[in-house]
Amino acid sequence: MSVSATLATLAPFVAEGPSEISSVTRDANWFLTNAWIIPLIPAISFFIILFFGKRLPKKGAEVGIAAVGLAFILAIATGVSWMDHRDNFDGELSESPSVIAHGDDAHDESHADASDGEEPDTHEAAAHAEEGDSEEAHPYVAVQNSVPWFQSGGIEFSAGVLVDGLSVMMLFVVTLISLLVHVYSTDYVGGDRRYTHYFAFLSLFTASMLFFVLSDNILQMIVGWELVGVCSFALIGHWWEEKPNSDAALKAFLTNRVGDIGLLIGMITLFFAAGGGQTFDTLAINNAINQGGVSHTALVVAAACLMAAVASKSGQFVLHTWLPDAMAGPTPVSALIHAATMVVAGIFMVARLYPVFFEGMSIGGSSINLLSTIGAVTLVFAGLLAFVQTDIKKVLAYSTVSQLGYMAMALGVGAWGAAVFHLFTHAFFKANLFLGSGSVAHAVHSFDMKKDMGGMKKFMPNTYKTFIIGAVALAGVFPLAGFWSKDEILVGTGGWGFFGGTGGNGAYTFHLAMGMIGAALTAAYMTRCIYLTFHGEYRGNDHHDDHAHADDAHDADGAAAPAHAGESHDPHESGPRILWPLYILSGFSLVIGFVNLPPGFFESSKVLSFLPDGWEERFLHFVEPGGASYFPGIGHGTPSWSLAVVSSLIAFGGAGLAYRYYFVKVDGLAKATGQHLTEMPNGPVTTNKWARAGHTVLVEKYYLDHLYTGIIAGATKGPIARAVNWVNQNIIDGAVNTAGETAVMIGKGVYSKIDQGVIEGVVNGSGRISDATGEELRHINSGKVQNYAAIMFAGAALLAGAFIIILAL
Amino acid sequence: MDTLDTNNWLLTALVFAPLAGALLMVLIPEKEEEAQKQWAIFTSLVTLGLGVWLLFDFDYDQAGALQYFVDKDWIEVIGAGYTMGVDGMSLPLIALTVFVMPLVFIYSWNHIPNPGNAKAFLMLMLILETGMIGTFVAQDLILFFVFFEIVLLPMFFMIAVWGGEDRRYASLKFFLYTLFGSALMLLSFLALFFLTTDPATGEHTFNMLVLSENAGDGIVRSTQLLIFGGMFVGFGVKVPMFPFHTWLPDAHTQAPTQGSVILAAVLLKLGAYGFIRIAIPMLPEAAEAWAPWIGLLAVIGIIYGALGCLAQTDMKRLIAFSSVAHMGFVMLGISTLTDFGINAAIYGMVAHGLITGMLFFVAGAVKERYHTLEIDRLGGMLLQAPKLGWILGFTVMASLGLPGLAGFWGEFPAILSAYNPAAGLAEETFRGYMVVAAIGTVLAAGYLLWLLQRTAMGEPSEEFANDPEITDVTVIEWIAWTPFLVLILVFGIAPGLIFDITDPAVVESLRGCLETGCEAARTAAEAAGG
Amino acid sequence: MFAVLVAAGGEFARPSIDWHAAAPELTLLAFGALITMMDIGWLERGRKATPAIASLALLATMIPIITLANDGVDRSMFGGAFVVDNYSLIMKAMFVLAGYVVVLLSTNYIAEGDYWENEYYGLLLSSILGMVLMASARDLITIFIALELLSIPAYMLATWRKRDLKSNEAGLKYYLMGVFASAVMLYGMSLLFGSTGSTLLTDINTAVSESAKPSAVVVLGIVFVVVGFAFKVSAFPFHTWAPDTYEGAPTPVTAFLSVASKAAGFVALMNIVFVGLLGRADVVEPLMWVLAAASMTVGNLIALRQTNIVRMLAYSGVAQAGYMLAPLAVVSDVPDTALGAIVTYLVIYAAMNLGAFGVVMAVARKTRSAEISDFRGLFHYAPGLTVAMTIFLFSLAGIPPLGGWFAKFRVMEALIDANNASGVVLGVVVAVNSVIALYYYARIGLSMWGDEAPDGDLTRVNVPASLIAAIGITGIVTIAFGLGLVVGDFTGLSLLPALAAGG
Repeated sequence: MSVSATLATLAPFVAEGPSEISSVTRDANWFLTNAWIIPLIPAISFFIILFFGKRLPKKGAEVGIAAVGLAFILAIATGVSWMDHRDNFDGELSESPSVIAHGDDAHDESHADASDGEEPDTHEAAAHAEEGDSEEAHPYVAVQNSVPWFQSGGIEFSAGVLVDGLSVMMLFVVTLISLLVHVYSTDYVGGDRRYTHYFAFLSLFTASMLFFVLSDNILQMIVGWELVGVCSFALIGHWWEEKPNSDAALKAFLTNRVGDIGLLIGMITLFFAAGGGQTFDTLAINNAINQGGVSHTALVVAAACLMAAVASKSGQFVLHTWLPDAMAGPTPVSALIHAATMVVAGIFMVARLYPVFFEGMSIGGSSINLLSTIGAVTLVFAGLLAFVQTDIKKVLAYSTVSQLGYMAMALGVGAWGAAVFHLFTHAFFKANLFLGSGSVAHAVHSFDMKKDMGGMKKFMPNTYKTFIIGAVALAGVFPLAGFWSKDEILVGTGGWGFFGGTGGNGAYTFHLAMGMIGAALTAAYMTRCIYLTFHGEYRGNDHHDDHAHADDAHDADGAAAPAHAGESHDPHESGPRILWPLYILSGFSLVIGFVNLPPGFFESSKVLSFLPDGWEERFLHFVEPGGASYFPGIGHGTPSWSLAVVSSLIAFGGAGLAYRYYFVKVDGLAKATGQHLTEMPNGPVTTNKWARAGHTVLVEKYYLDHLYTGIIAGATKGPIARAVNWVNQNIIDGAVNTAGETAVMIGKGVYSKIDQGVIEGVVNGSGRISDATGEELRHINSGKVQNYAAIMFAGAALLAGAFIIILAL
Repeated sequence: MDTLDTNNWLLTALVFAPLAGALLMVLIPEKEEEAQKQWAIFTSLVTLGLGVWLLFDFDYDQAGALQYFVDKDWIEVIGAGYTMGVDGMSLPLIALTVFVMPLVFIYSWNHIPNPGNAKAFLMLMLILETGMIGTFVAQDLILFFVFFEIVLLPMFFMIAVWGGEDRRYASLKFFLYTLFGSALMLLSFLALFFLTTDPATGEHTFNMLVLSENAGDGIVRSTQLLIFGGMFVGFGVKVPMFPFHTWLPDAHTQAPTQGSVILAAVLLKLGAYGFIRIAIPMLPEAAEAWAPWIGLLAVIGIIYGALGCLAQTDMKRLIAFSSVAHMGFVMLGISTLTDFGINAAIYGMVAHGLITGMLFFVAGAVKERYHTLEIDRLGGMLLQAPKLGWILGFTVMASLGLPGLAGFWGEFPAILSAYNPAAGLAEETFRGYMVVAAIGTVLAAGYLLWLLQRTAMGEPSEEFANDPEITDVTVIEWIAWTPFLVLILVFGIAPGLIFDITDPAVVESLRGCLETGCEAARTAAEAAGG
Repeated sequence: MFAVLVAAGGEFARPSIDWHAAAPELTLLAFGALITMMDIGWLERGRKATPAIASLALLATMIPIITLANDGVDRSMFGGAFVVDNYSLIMKAMFVLAGYVVVLLSTNYIAEGDYWENEYYGLLLSSILGMVLMASARDLITIFIALELLSIPAYMLATWRKRDLKSNEAGLKYYLMGVFASAVMLYGMSLLFGSTGSTLLTDINTAVSESAKPSAVVVLGIVFVVVGFAFKVSAFPFHTWAPDTYEGAPTPVTAFLSVASKAAGFVALMNIVFVGLLGRADVVEPLMWVLAAASMTVGNLIALRQTNIVRMLAYSGVAQAGYMLAPLAVVSDVPDTALGAIVTYLVIYAAMNLGAFGVVMAVARKTRSAEISDFRGLFHYAPGLTVAMTIFLFSLAGIPPLGGWFAKFRVMEALIDANNASGVVLGVVVAVNSVIALYYYARIGLSMWGDEAPDGDLTRVNVPASLIAAIGITGIVTIAFGLGLVVGDFTGLSLLPALAAGG
């Protein structure tokens, strides 16, 4: 508990530290204990679609939708029962999972006493529950339900589900977005060559992600982690006929693999270091860490390694490069995987194993650490990249990277709740934006904002509206979803101290600043994106022949776009199966922020002060396992009006600048000249050499791709591999062959020189002579015999001589 | 280690059923290929039946004990006994063998490679099966050695006669290389024989049980190291470990599909099995001294094999090289001398057997359809033969160790076990190995996915664009392959199926090490240190 | 002592003769005489019968051998110059049976090429007689007599294809070299006699083992005697005659030389070493070490590049001789194991080598040559022969479960059992050599199975019954040994008791 000690001194507002006892139970509502069914359903549907999909009337789509729909309903049920469980749990606590995980055997001295340690605590638990803690009457108790999986080294390992606020929240997000994406896809990829496989993999992806968020041990987490990876591989490469797509798929998978090195090593470190050693159980590990039973070094190593995994999966700076390329996949997939769900796997893992990072990165009481800094850097650098993209999906992709940066930073500064909440809200408005962009692309059969879009506002008003809502939410404008979560993050940095806003786990001023900049950037690039896509003149008609992008090329040959026969036509609004998901998502983007109103919001607001405080921080209350034994005692920042106002102003500032440039200057000039302008002809980039240099760097994506694909991958595939092969063929194998050849050579030498002696030629001759005269015969034999006799006597003499000298003399 | 000898006739039957089948096949006239194939399939199915019986009859609560234990005199003159037994360590491998062979025979139904002569081909494979099963059940060093060698001849001829262009070179290389190893191995066995006495009879013995119990007791350390060295070469060549691996790519590339499959599925396991069954339990102290070097060669093999793969232009050769990398993981697990690692190793063997075997089937199918394995000339398989392409994709995913498929459970625990090796081994060293091995997984993904991309994805090259011969998976192929695919998935989801069996046996086999060897070494080190 | 006394005291006391013990020799002698008489008697008419009679002779010889074996007691005649014990009986049996197989091999070969049959079989029998005698000889003189008795007929047999230049060349070479060898050996023997004052091996042993350090004379004597037999067993560097002779001589004779007469040489060597020179292990062991290592290495290396299968077998024979000599290099540490190893090796070697020659002959009946290239694609027209040849070749290479591995195993066992550096090192040499050897054996296997038949000629080979019988017998023996079904109680053997008795 050294941590909370330091916290006490540092942070004015610190939640009660984690309780000593394990807060996990097995007795709970049916939905909570049987949550494992939720991933199972789409998993089954995957196989059904794969094997029978083609024969079904709707080519398997209906199965997928039904499965995910069912999963969604179950997820809601689980969510509801969780809320009930959270507030009214008074069942028996089960013994510590670390004990569940281990059979009784030689290995268990450490666990034996651990369990002794735990037994009495369960009663204490009740007591603890009675006296209650400052926050509420009921302790935060997660539901774990596991079955034996396999044994190794005499230790039993179990597989199971862990249901708590975090996983329930993820269940809701994943199933909802997945469901909407399913519906959307039936129109979007309709008539695609591999329609059925597409839906099969959507199901598999949903299953894997659900499996991942429910897993109660790090081994299962690894499994789920890799499975979502392979699904994204399959879906990015859905149109693998074109090499760029399969390249993108490979890039995504391999980049993730690189991160997986960190994942494996980090998890292994935890396996041995935490929970008395040799346990995969998440809660056991977290418990052990919170009780200070784990060496700090091990945690530093583990946290650093896992950081790499997070960077690869959640697109943090330097391993983010795969994410924009991943847009090669169908747009709904981008929405589902590369915005809303999969990419947050890394964030989720950090949140799930928070004690590891809290201790390992020593978040408490410091003002800078790896996680938060990488997050901060990512959110700004990615934001900048979004400015130079002409492909609408890439703008959104970089914006995703940037938002993930926010989440990582939030976790880094100890604002756990804020991070998870941002994950939650971001899922809705980012999915909204992606599907919106897809809707546009579906109409113009391209993603190139500059070449094929512009003025879409008048063609597809509904898409436009939803897109605007999404964008505003993303930009963090009050009172839309983005505002609340982003504000919480900024508060969480605790960097605002000198203006009254305080708290958090230390003074992360630098990160606050980066967050502010990020807010400005976000607002700005979304404004640019909106202008280029929906305003100005429609630039599409000129380019029907070159469809740069795989996506349109494919729904072009699909039945979905019969209109697109190559002749010029105006784009039209998308159909209901595309629009309705947009409506729903934008609805969420509008209101979802209110589920986590900051504490003290009502008193301090003159208007709403009559409302009960009970409505504040509902999200945090249900999701954050504050006070649970497997959660570190983090500090919560106190919100500050000043900060909220300032950050909003900054965001508006960013938007304003972009507005002025695009809507006023560029638009005006375009109208004046009647050209299709997308940039000022003589903007700073063209005039100022520094700006140009900066621009190039951005266009080249900081040259990271050159480094990875060109230098590292290229070298490995090319020279290095060839060198190794050369060594194999010529040196290692060469040695073997040489040995053989030498043997033969020696044999030859001995035979011809010693054995057959000088007159070998004559021997061969003798064979050929059929009618040999006695003369020849005598000559041949005697010659050979002399030779032989010489050898024999010489041998005898030598042996005799040698032995006499050695032995007798 | 205690032994159960209830209905121990089973093992004898299991081992010699294929041989009997082979001998009886002599009676089938040359012309009647159908009959020969039916007979071969039937024999292998009978063997499989016996194997299944074994699986059901096996007492899993005592997986650590040798069951169906036979101990009869064989060649009294040299003290060699007819000693057989099965425990959790060998059971999975036996199961693998008896399970793979029928599928190979079924595949042979319409895939007798040139120059034909099904009869001889099938007979050789049956003899091979006897050799392989025998190696896994033998509990006497000489018996083990004999079976270990019996495997050589049929495989040699399968490559030499039914192989590809360069078959002479490949087959001779395979034969000489392995014989070289086993010759030294035999010397080690003899040395072990004369340096150990059976406490019961007071005589020298080849009985593996006794030798493991004795665990190199009373043999001078230096001698132990030498003896282990002999075994190391013998088994290391068979595994094959870097740098003894060079016979493998040639053998695999030249062998007929069936040969490659058997080679990958079972033959490569003999070496590793030798390590965990013989070398380590019998000479724990030496094992401890050798372990860091084995580990080093293992990780070199992982990286080296992977890089080698990236350089290959021939699909089959690439798969062959990948075996070097995969067996590297197996050996890494073994070199940690921990129950965790060795469990992983056994799992890895089974998984590699199924996965790489399957990959060779696919390679064979490609060769049959495209008449080439030049990766650059292939492509678009997913369009021309979608099912074949998907099978390739699936197997590739399994091969790169995707969780949820069999490969993962051989790979990850092996890496994991390297984090803390057996007491007495340098942790830092092995953690270094762990990191390298983890990097190896990336390379594995690299070359496998690259292979998939170049062969299966993209548009088919105009060379084959509309080649009528390129058909999708045939019925025979489905019958032969489906079990592989299913098992890869099942073992991926339920690792317990194998771990739970092997674990007790492994713990048992390491007891010698944990008690005498390593303990002694550690105390010695402490004494030296303080 | 006895012999010397006799020599000293002028009057001749007639030694008591154990007729039972001498029965095998006598039987052979009788039949040999019979066959020769027949030829004189009814010239051409008997000819058809001779092979039958010869085989009958050999089988008849087995009878006393078996009875002696059942009787079981060690018998000794002429003051220990002639001893019958298990060891000698086993060797006798081996010679006789080998001879029988040779007769089987010869039957058609001799009948079809117009050679004198009766003389052939007569000489064959007398040569076998010499070998059988050798098995019991425990006295320098007896040994020498036995040796000449088995050699001289062999010289003639080697030249049997007298219209063939090569055959004459072979016989002549063999003869001349044999004479040189005998000369050297005789010189060595006389030196030993001179320095020890006895021809009886046991006495020689006691005499030579007295001094701690060997005298130069003794060393010289030992070396020369050993060299003499090294010639017989064609150990490097005294093997030079073997290839040419093997190639030139009629194939059955080659088989006979390569197996029986080589074995006889070993028997003599073992008698001398175990009975006569065990006390001078310090001389014998290094000598044998050198001979063994050199023979197996050089033999194998040279065999690598032979194109003629008979020559190849000749050189492989040199290597095999090396393996068989190896146990003698550790003879003082593990005498009985060593003896057992050599005997086992001899028996198995006889089986597999005879078999190999059998197949060579069978194939030669079609191809009329013994070039390795003529074995290409054998599998396609003579699968049976191919399988047989494969068995014999890989048995020679020492691959389980074929006899050869067991033989080699016994050798290694002896070497390791000695538990000293020289033993282990030699063991490694053996191991490495068996790999080298595999190369040329396997190469033939390859061309038999893997290649196409030369000019696609797939006419079957017609193999006479006698040849089939020969191949069958040897094949069965080879495999039986390999599976450890029969190993004989070759380890029950020991020549040490004889030593004790003599002393």
